[in-house]
Amino acid sequence: MNGNNTTVIKRKKFKISNLPNSTYIFGVLFIIFSLCIPNFFSPSNLSNLVVQASPLIIISIGMSMVIMTGCIDLSVGGNISMTGVIMATLLMLGMPAIFAILCGLAIGTCFGLLNGFIVQKMRVAPFIATFGMMGIAESIANIVSKKRTVYWEPSPTNELIKGVQTNLFQIQLGNKSSQTLFLSFITIICIVIAVIAIYVFKKTAFGAHIYSVGANEEIARLNSISPVKIRMAVYAISGFLAAVASLLYMSRINSAQPTMGDGLEFQAIVAAIIGGNSLRGGKGSIPGAILGALSLFAVRNALSLAGVGTSWVQVFIGVVLIVGMIFNALVYWWEHDRKSSRKITVKGAVQQ
Amino acid sequence: MSKLLEIKGVCKSFPGVKALEDIDIDLDYGEVHVILGENGAGKSTLMKILSGAYQADTGEMFVEEQKVLHNSPKVSESLGIRMIYQELNLVEELSVAQNIFLGKEQYKGIALNKKQMNENARQMMANMNILVDPNTLIKDLGVGTQQMVEICKALSTNAKILVFDEPTSSLTDSEIAELFRIIRMLKEKGVGMFYISHRLEELKEIGDRVTIMRDGKKILTTAADQISMNEIIEGIAGRKIENLFPHTRKEPGDCLLEVNGLTGEKFRNVSIKVCAGEIVGMSGLVGAGRTEVARALMGIDRCNGGEAFLVGKPLPKNNIQKVVDMGLCLLPENRKTEGLALSLSIRENTIISSINRLFPGLITQKKKESQVVSQYVTDLNIATSSIEKLVQYLSGGTQQKVVVAKWLMSQSKVFIFDEPTRGIDVGAKSEIYRLMDELTKQGAGILMISSDLPEILGMSDRIYVMAQGDLVGELDAGEATQQEILRMAFKQHSPAVEEVG
Repeated sequence: MNGNNTTVIKRKKFKISNLPNSTYIFGVLFIIFSLCIPNFFSPSNLSNLVVQASPLIIISIGMSMVIMTGCIDLSVGGNISMTGVIMATLLMLGMPAIFAILCGLAIGTCFGLLNGFIVQKMRVAPFIATFGMMGIAESIANIVSKKRTVYWEPSPTNELIKGVQTNLFQIQLGNKSSQTLFLSFITIICIVIAVIAIYVFKKTAFGAHIYSVGANEEIARLNSISPVKIRMAVYAISGFLAAVASLLYMSRINSAQPTMGDGLEFQAIVAAIIGGNSLRGGKGSIPGAILGALSLFAVRNALSLAGVGTSWVQVFIGVVLIVGMIFNALVYWWEHDRKSSRKITVKGAVQQ
Repeated sequence: MSKLLEIKGVCKSFPGVKALEDIDIDLDYGEVHVILGENGAGKSTLMKILSGAYQADTGEMFVEEQKVLHNSPKVSESLGIRMIYQELNLVEELSVAQNIFLGKEQYKGIALNKKQMNENARQMMANMNILVDPNTLIKDLGVGTQQMVEICKALSTNAKILVFDEPTSSLTDSEIAELFRIIRMLKEKGVGMFYISHRLEELKEIGDRVTIMRDGKKILTTAADQISMNEIIEGIAGRKIENLFPHTRKEPGDCLLEVNGLTGEKFRNVSIKVCAGEIVGMSGLVGAGRTEVARALMGIDRCNGGEAFLVGKPLPKNNIQKVVDMGLCLLPENRKTEGLALSLSIRENTIISSINRLFPGLITQKKKESQVVSQYVTDLNIATSSIEKLVQYLSGGTQQKVVVAKWLMSQSKVFIFDEPTRGIDVGAKSEIYRLMDELTKQGAGILMISSDLPEILGMSDRIYVMAQGDLVGELDAGEATQQEILRMAFKQHSPAVEEVG
């Protein structure tokens, strides 16, 4: 082959605008809060922050995958309430914790599968299908719990639930209580799930297939990837992760409320969006969604430390979302502008 | 010598339409077989039967003298038949290697063997003389390189037969040259290729044989060097197109559009003028800044300096509404996304920019709308059963006419056509040319941006040539030649190393 016509395409390895938005949103918020809010940057508060954020991180991972395929799952919050109430009721009836948990996880997963079935096989638009399922799940939660908080009697058979919220270890870094660094089982569950999700996404073909389905179903089909299977899978994963999140909530408050999942789907969508998802699909990243969820809880945590009423939380989350998006556009513009003014080199020969 | 592929007596009907009638076609090893025909002539149907997406009603297919019994996408893939589609089928957010191996990833244990796939992808691209980091995301590559990735993907599975469906419609000239180089390389390796294109001049450059199809029938198959352009056009259109370019040159009237030293981000110091009754061609390579000039004139993009006058009055900057009201309009290259609302009817699309003028009050009257629109539909000879038909169901040529109707109704004086006939078949092309001629007869001025040199030479009164953002020349159409335009367009242009940032 004659080497004279070889085209050399150089790649810039690192691009800020290729990072998920949540990276710098989280970075900026973290620095501001650490500097301005006393006690924010204390070991116990940070440990606590991760514990608080864990359920949202877990459902955001599922939400991010669903959005990457170009769909959406509005039923996550309802699913959390429903599976929580069902698990709590089973515990109340004296079922051993392990069976109650397995039941809850199975119900959550099936609920997700049903979402996928309605969207993909019945061809109902994802927004409408999961909106309907959200209502159904919330109602089931109310019916099962009779709109009351469900408690259970502590007994040897359900110690497992208590175990979830215990701390694996604590390290006292100083003599004040705020200087305790602790690692809860909740955090460990969250980390394990995140690691598995990232591993599966990066090291198997699943991630690439999710992107291809979201970018263009036709492309996926031409490459013998089944959009039906992929979408059913991500909805099932989203449902399963909702049940896990529900378990974490339940163990923390030692009860289940029929409203405990309300609004969580909104927060998970926000986390996924500032994590780099596009609602059109084919974009996004799991680490981005995780950082997105952490950003939201950093805001909540900081506001409560600063003594701002909980009613204001949504205002700030909305501001973070919108300012984050504007910031993202600015970063893109800045890089794009520099790119277009960079000189194009002209070479005819092979370069390596 | 035995044939690589033979298709005999293929028929295919859809409800109400006979899409293919008794088609025989064959392909040799290392041959480029060009298939020409208008939209709807049956080319795509034939290729879909080849790839197994459709089943033929009757007829036989042989690959390397083996009869193919039940063709399906899976079977055709196993036979080494690959399609390179017009719209690129790559996932933008994935890397070059991930795209090449999409759906057939290589595993090492339970994890992907990324190292191996990256190395293979790098090697495959290097075989086509493109050195690219296989981790580069597709969205960071130019369209031309993306197409190479697509070809690479097809070749990664030992393709014997490649089908190119209008591969050059979105490529620049240097990218087309690169594509042709690779096609020649594949020929040497014995790969047989079908090549579907609307650009007739490509046929002579790359084709060995040519088959012309019309209305689901094969008109002829012949060696590419034994057929003249006129014969081809006649064959495609099924009628003698005496004069594809009907524009009659005459004395230009008053100056309608005058632009002095317009400067924007991608072009500098552009001064042009367009007179009544005149078609002014604007030629140059893709990326020379022609479309950007048009967008700046319309007030869509910002411009940094210069001024423009329409019938003596200065054009406002960054105010599309006012520019349109003054009588300048743009018929964008991308009709489907920028020129029309596809899910609305012909009536709604046509009336959209005149609605305030027709109904100064708050209330609109559908009856009056219909009357006015029907008038234009008749005048422009728009082929439709009803003005309530949705625009998405119209052919490319008819859609273009609806855009013209819209601007005619809003009383435009100067029409800027951006690539007016891209992706439109020969029959519809000639109608659009006639329409342009009609517009000039009625005293309108036309600025026509086009990369199609025969079109520029055939239709224009004067020709401006742009290169890399500069206006490099003005030619009288009577004296201009393709060579001269190309020489100007390439003036400051040399093949560049594509840099990805």
